[in-house]
Amino acid sequence: MAGPVLRAGAWPAVAGLSGAAVAVGGCGAAFPAAATMLLPVCFALLAAAAALTLDEPASPVVDVTPTGPARRTTIRAVALLAPLAAGALVMLAAALRGLALPWPAAGLALAGNVLLGFAAACVARTRTAEPGAAAGTAVVLVLMTPILVPQVARWIRTFPAPGADGPSPDPVWWTVLAVCVAAIAVSAGDRGLPRWMTRFS
Amino acid sequence: MTAALEPARAGAVAGRATFAALAVRETRRFARNPVFLAAAGLTAYVLWSGKRGTVTDINGPNTVAAVFFGGFGMMAAFWLTGSMRASEPVVGVTPVTLPARTAALCAVAIVPFGCGCLTLLAFLHFHPIGDPVYGAFSPPARIAVLVGQIVVPSLGGPLLGVALGRWVRFPGAGFVLFLILAGWVTLVMALTLARPDSAPVAVLRLFAPFALFTLHTDVGVTAWRGSPWFFLGWQLALCAIAVLVALLRGAKGRLRSRIIRALGIVLAAAVILLLLAGTGGFTHAVTT
Repeated sequence: MAGPVLRAGAWPAVAGLSGAAVAVGGCGAAFPAAATMLLPVCFALLAAAAALTLDEPASPVVDVTPTGPARRTTIRAVALLAPLAAGALVMLAAALRGLALPWPAAGLALAGNVLLGFAAACVARTRTAEPGAAAGTAVVLVLMTPILVPQVARWIRTFPAPGADGPSPDPVWWTVLAVCVAAIAVSAGDRGLPRWMTRFS
Repeated sequence: MTAALEPARAGAVAGRATFAALAVRETRRFARNPVFLAAAGLTAYVLWSGKRGTVTDINGPNTVAAVFFGGFGMMAAFWLTGSMRASEPVVGVTPVTLPARTAALCAVAIVPFGCGCLTLLAFLHFHPIGDPVYGAFSPPARIAVLVGQIVVPSLGGPLLGVALGRWVRFPGAGFVLFLILAGWVTLVMALTLARPDSAPVAVLRLFAPFALFTLHTDVGVTAWRGSPWFFLGWQLALCAIAVLVALLRGAKGRLRSRIIRALGIVLAAAVILLLLAGTGGFTHAVTT
C-alpha cells in the first residue's frame, strides 16, 4: 500500500521546489553576505515543498478506500525526507564554506519550516483534495513577513541570524513544532471525507 | 458609409461597456481578497509604527509597499486569475474574448497602484524629502527613487501575477516567483556590497523589478551607482511586458500579431532603459 500512496504524490512539484531551494540556498552559501536572507528563502521554499506532499488529485477514489487518513498521512510523511535532505545539504554546504551560523538553531528552524508546511497541508486536506498551493502560499506569507519587514522582525524572528537584534527564534520554533504535531494528529485522526464530498454522500 | 460605420461603433461601445463591467467585478474581487487586505493592513501598521522611532535608514520602510502591494498583490492577482480556470468551459463560450477578460484582470492593478500612491504620500509625510537618509541624490532623484520603490512595484506586482496566472498552470507559481525575486534582489545586493563601483554589477542590481539605491552604515549613507529615472522607465517597461504577455494568451489573428510586435518594441526599450539605468547616475558610490 505504501508504494502506490507514495507514487501518487505530487513528486514533480516537491522535487522542483526542493531543487529551487537548493539553488537559492547554494547561492546563500556561495555569497555569505546574502546568506541570512537567502537561507530563510530556501527554508520557505522547502516549507512550500512540504505543503505539496499531501496533494491527492485522485481524492474521490482514494478517500473511500479502506486505508485511513492517518495511515495515508504517515506514508506521505515519508516524502518530507526530500525537503529535509535538501535543507541538510544546503546547511552542509554553508558549513563547509565556513558560514558562522548557530547550526543547532538553524536545524531547528529547518525542521520547523518543513513541519509547518506539512501541518498546514494536513489541516487544509480535511477540506480539499489538493491543499498544497493554498497551504504553501499561506506558509510562505507567514514565514517571509518577518524576514522582509524589519518592523515585524522586532517582534518575531524565524531565522537565527548571528548578531541580529530581536528575540531568539528557538522558542518560536519549539512552539511551532508542538502546535504542528498536535494539528497533524488531530487533522489526520479526524479526517473523513472532504466536506465538499459529504454533500453527495 | 454612415450605415456601414454604425454597427462597428455600436459594437465598440458594447465592448467598452462589457470591459468596464468585467473590470469593476474583478477589481471588487481583488479588493476583497484576504491576501490583499492583509497587505494593506500590514503596510498601514508598518508606516504608523515607523514614525514612532528615529529613522536612520529608509531601506526598511520603503520596501514595505513593494513586498506587500507588489509581492502579496502578485500572489493575490495570480490566485484571482487562476480561480477562473475551473470555470473556463462555461466562461469560454461567452461572447467575451480571453484577451478582453485578461485586460479586465489587468485593470485590478489600479487598486494596489492607488494604495502605493497613498503610501508614497504617507512616506513623504513621515520622512520629508530633505532628510539626510536619502543620501547624495538630488530632491527630484529622491522622488524618483521612492516612486520606483513604492508606487511602481505596487502596480507591477499584480500585473505580473495576471501574466503568470495566464501562462503557468502550477498553482504554487505565485509564491515561488515571489521567493525567487526576493532571493535575487538579495543576491545582487550582496554583489553590490562587494563591488559598489562596478557598472556591470550596477546593471545586475537593477535587473530586477525592485532595487535599493542607498545603504546606511556607520560612516553615513552611501548612494549607489545607477539612475533612478531610467530605472523607473525600466520598471514601467516591465509592467508593459507583463500586460502584453498576459494579453497574448488566447489572442488570435491581427490582435496576436499586433501584441507580438508591441512586445518586441517594449523588450528593446526595456533593454536600453536597463543599460541606461545601470550606467547613468553617479559614476561611483557616494557616501555622505
